[in-house]
Amino acid sequence: MIVVTGASKGLGRAICDRLISKGVPVFGIARNVENVPFLSMACDVSIYENVKAVSQRLKKDGVKVEGLINTAGIASMNLAVTTPSNVSQNIIHTNLLGTIYCCQLIAPLILRNKSGSIINFSTIAVALGLKGESIYAASKAGVEGFTRSFAREMADFNVNVNCIAPGPIDTNLLKGITTTQIQKIVLQQIIPKQFTPDSVCDLVELLLDKRSSSLSGQVLHVGGA
Amino acid sequence: MLNNQLIKNEIFIIIAELIQDNAQVINDDTPLIGGDSLLDSMKLVELCLTLEDKATELGFEFDWTSDAAMSKSRSMFRTAGSLTIEFINQMETKK
Repeated sequence: MIVVTGASKGLGRAICDRLISKGVPVFGIARNVENVPFLSMACDVSIYENVKAVSQRLKKDGVKVEGLINTAGIASMNLAVTTPSNVSQNIIHTNLLGTIYCCQLIAPLILRNKSGSIINFSTIAVALGLKGESIYAASKAGVEGFTRSFAREMADFNVNVNCIAPGPIDTNLLKGITTTQIQKIVLQQIIPKQFTPDSVCDLVELLLDKRSSSLSGQVLHVGGA
Repeated sequence: MLNNQLIKNEIFIIIAELIQDNAQVINDDTPLIGGDSLLDSMKLVELCLTLEDKATELGFEFDWTSDAAMSKSRSMFRTAGSLTIEFINQMETKK
């Protein structure tokens, strides 16, 4: 079973759909799972007790967890000096602490198997230092740092931890960003084209595959940065 | 009380098995974290998982991520004795 956060929409949902289409069982978590057509549980990843409840349920149900994909995230494009403090807190809580909580509480279920894969999500905004995304980038830079250290901690248990850092992918997260702005970012990628959720799903499949067992602690940029 | 002594013995046996050194006697003062610890970080996590299973067997949930888990002065992992006290304390509180 692969646990996917942010499973109700966007990249998380696309990843769930891809894995299910390949016969991989998925357990989705999201704040609202009303319309999620696969095994799921409501959970706000920024609330430690919520994540703990997920971990307790998986343990109680005797689920063999083989992977964790942390796609849950929020963005707010704004200059740092004009960002309200509650928005900054929400971004850090959801993107950084949410990822940390899920890793802390779900990883013990994975490392019991002495194998597995954890995939966190960052953004090209970190590598490119994009203007207007400083707080979002800070939260994701934290995810990258956490990923590298956590990968070493998990290596003893043969569990790989990596990070996918996409450029602008066509999802709800891009709402409010103009086509011109997206093009400007895309042109800074090594491969200057906008990729789709499918490319991210391909990478997820690769990182879940045993053939990528030599990769851990890496940040993989979709589009190159 | 007798039950608690049995649990303590079981925990010490679990620690001894993880250390894999027959010459090493486990007692209340055996350090589990810090420079003198006989357990590396991997073994410490394995110990936690084993105690988690033991707790399930005994009908409660062992929380090894409490606030005090890693504080060197207050951590439940300071010594085999402090770990045992915390395990039994959680058992008695949560049962």
